[in-house]
Amino acid sequence: MVVEKKKKTINRLKSMYPLRAKVNETYLKSIKAIQAGKPAVWGMLNFYYGDPILKAMDVEVVYPENYGAIAAAMGVARQYLDRADAEGFPTHLCGYSLTTLGYTARMMKELNGQIPPEAPFGGMPKPLFLMSSAAICDARYKWFQALGRYMDVPVWPLEAPLPGIKEFSVEDYYDEMVKMGVTHLRDFVTFVEDMVGKKMDWDRLDRTTSLMIEVNRVWHEINELRKARPCPMHSRDFWSAMPAALFLAGDLEDSLRLYQDMYKEVEERVHSHVSAIPDEKYRLVFAELPPWHSLAFFDRLAERGWNFVIESVGYHPPIPIDLSGISDPLERITRFSLQFLVGYYQDARKQNVLGGTTAYPYLKYAREWKCDGALLHPLITCRSASPHLPYVSDMLMKKMNVPSLSIEGDIVDLRLFNPEDALGKAEPFEETMEHYKKVRRQEGFDW
Amino acid sequence: MSDKSTGLSKAREIYLNRSGRAKELKAEGKKIIGYPCVYVPLEMLTALELVPYQTCGDIKEPITEADRALPGSFCPVMRNCLDCALKGKNDFLDGMVAIHSCDPQEKTARVWESYTSYPYFHFIDMPITIRPEALEYFRSQLNDFGKTLEAFTGKKLSKDKFESAIKFHNQQRALVRELYELTKPSSPRISGKEITLVIKALTGLPVSEGNDLLTETINEVKNRTAGPEKKLARLLIWSGTLDDTDIMAVFEDKANVVMNESCGGIRAYRSSVKFTADPLEGLADYYLNEITCARTFRQATLGETRKDYAGDLQSRFGYLKGIVREWNINGVIMLLVRYCDPFAFEMPSLKDYFDSIGISSTYIEYDYTVGALAPLRTRVEAFLETINQ
Repeated sequence: MVVEKKKKTINRLKSMYPLRAKVNETYLKSIKAIQAGKPAVWGMLNFYYGDPILKAMDVEVVYPENYGAIAAAMGVARQYLDRADAEGFPTHLCGYSLTTLGYTARMMKELNGQIPPEAPFGGMPKPLFLMSSAAICDARYKWFQALGRYMDVPVWPLEAPLPGIKEFSVEDYYDEMVKMGVTHLRDFVTFVEDMVGKKMDWDRLDRTTSLMIEVNRVWHEINELRKARPCPMHSRDFWSAMPAALFLAGDLEDSLRLYQDMYKEVEERVHSHVSAIPDEKYRLVFAELPPWHSLAFFDRLAERGWNFVIESVGYHPPIPIDLSGISDPLERITRFSLQFLVGYYQDARKQNVLGGTTAYPYLKYAREWKCDGALLHPLITCRSASPHLPYVSDMLMKKMNVPSLSIEGDIVDLRLFNPEDALGKAEPFEETMEHYKKVRRQEGFDW
Repeated sequence: MSDKSTGLSKAREIYLNRSGRAKELKAEGKKIIGYPCVYVPLEMLTALELVPYQTCGDIKEPITEADRALPGSFCPVMRNCLDCALKGKNDFLDGMVAIHSCDPQEKTARVWESYTSYPYFHFIDMPITIRPEALEYFRSQLNDFGKTLEAFTGKKLSKDKFESAIKFHNQQRALVRELYELTKPSSPRISGKEITLVIKALTGLPVSEGNDLLTETINEVKNRTAGPEKKLARLLIWSGTLDDTDIMAVFEDKANVVMNESCGGIRAYRSSVKFTADPLEGLADYYLNEITCARTFRQATLGETRKDYAGDLQSRFGYLKGIVREWNINGVIMLLVRYCDPFAFEMPSLKDYFDSIGISSTYIEYDYTVGALAPLRTRVEAFLETINQ
């Protein structure tokens, strides 16, 4: 691909590299430990709900969602998609799920449980159990249930309440969510203890929980610094650095130190007016998962002065919440995880943005990070990450005169994203952004 | 609605003009509350003298307005329902209740609430498991729903009214089951198409009127001499939604559909709400546990640490074996509405289950439009040929 060969324009953070390296190193160590016989769990991204428990129990977790992206980027996903199709799964299902289903069918039916030789990064060995999650989409618990066709492996589906913005203000509503969450997690701990054959070290869980919350607080503060003009940190650095906070990848004490280093570097850039790109002309928010296979696309946009100053809420840490007065780690975990889902609710209700719990944060981003436009990336087979985007686009324009550019892609099928075609849309969109910049000023907005 | 029509002819009239009766009732001062899905506990509306009205899609309606709010690769039923709402077809509603029974409904509800202006709108969250803490949480959700309904109506949701409403709705469930008894004979007394008419009509009527309609229909069918023609295949349709007679006609051209296990068929009527000291407990258990939609995560044993596939299939689909035997079914069509993830993930396992009980089945997908009917007919005919050989 021509765009992949051009020079890199984005001024990457130096502090991102050790953080990313630590995550990669931990992943490889984890794979080696699993290959040496340590039990592994397949987990869904669970927004901090199940991960700290597994981490405190010293259980290695692999995430088929992430592995789906790796398989796609390494060019092996196609055969797993075809296999899933042959097994009878509809082709319009989530690309990550089909990759996992095809992979597992091959591993269990053809190879008698052995990891497929073509599988990149050591593959995913047969797990001890599966931890699914109800958060965000139906696929993320139905897909693990469907794996029962190939492996007699227990599944724990993590509940994830999701209230309406208006309903959330009903008396005792939040307390009921917490109550269910804590009870549910207590039973999950018992399940994990039974599965791994050892008891929970509650002091360790307490420390793990506190570290998880602190890591995410620092990570949140880093992103707050990106409100500066010019923006010191590009979305590329966000995506590279997010796994340590989002998946708790790596040692949490190391992660905390590395995020603190990143905070210092970004803060220094703010003081020195150092930008993430050479000449920031347009500040943009990016919505949903990026085209992992074509990230150099952002360098080409950076050459045009496009700085991506903030991105999808689904991968951002929760707005910090003081949980220091709560001694039960399970309650702290529950409240922290709920904060990811409901942290924006009060503000959203004030702004009367009732539709789309995931939509309101984009309005906040546009207003506070002073965005000139939004680049929306609807994903054909990811129905959780895309349905709110037309609404986001409509609200951004109606409430703030911020225009959106929508470019379709997919999480696995690389053919659906065409970077050259997308770049062709950049110039006309710049004219649109310029126009609405004037409109906003006429209407009294401050950017 | 004609005053003279009864039974099936009345059901047909209501089917063709579903909002007619609701509008009449509104003119009389009743408040009409819309709902898109069978998981909304209608008993709570009835107890407060509100009229439930299911906001269905329309396969003949081209989607135009919903395009500005939802992407194309999204549940066509919810897109269609929202499209009808955005075109003002439900503007007579006084309120709307949506529920987190699936991701598309949750996502559509947010947009629906934002783009319409009914005096009342409520979203009920719903857990995915039937674990005790999930049931308790769901009970609290229903309690909150009750609070907002009380505030909207200015009336108190008393236990007496609640129990009376449950009784009426249980009666409706029992009558629908009785209606399905009439498809058991080798020559069914009523067709799948006629049942679709009746059930869809029920969703536009107050429960007491619906019960009268069912009673009339059952009596009419029992006493008529000419029923549907007996055909070679007796089919079970398993689907998310099958609520349109044109779709049903495709299956019944060369077969008898003796059971429609979907939200347009028996799914919401297969069992009854238990009377409990706290009526919300009985309702929570019924709606979370008893309705057999693919959206609920079921296990052979809650929190199981060992698993076997056969037990898993039994916990998810075991109820279908009784249906297959009692209705003497010789073919199953697993009808998937495109982009319906909860049902789509079930397809291979459900096929395994039907294979394990020795019944022929096939999986067919369509997109809830009139345009899908011709290819659907081809697939159905091909399947019928295989089971009739």
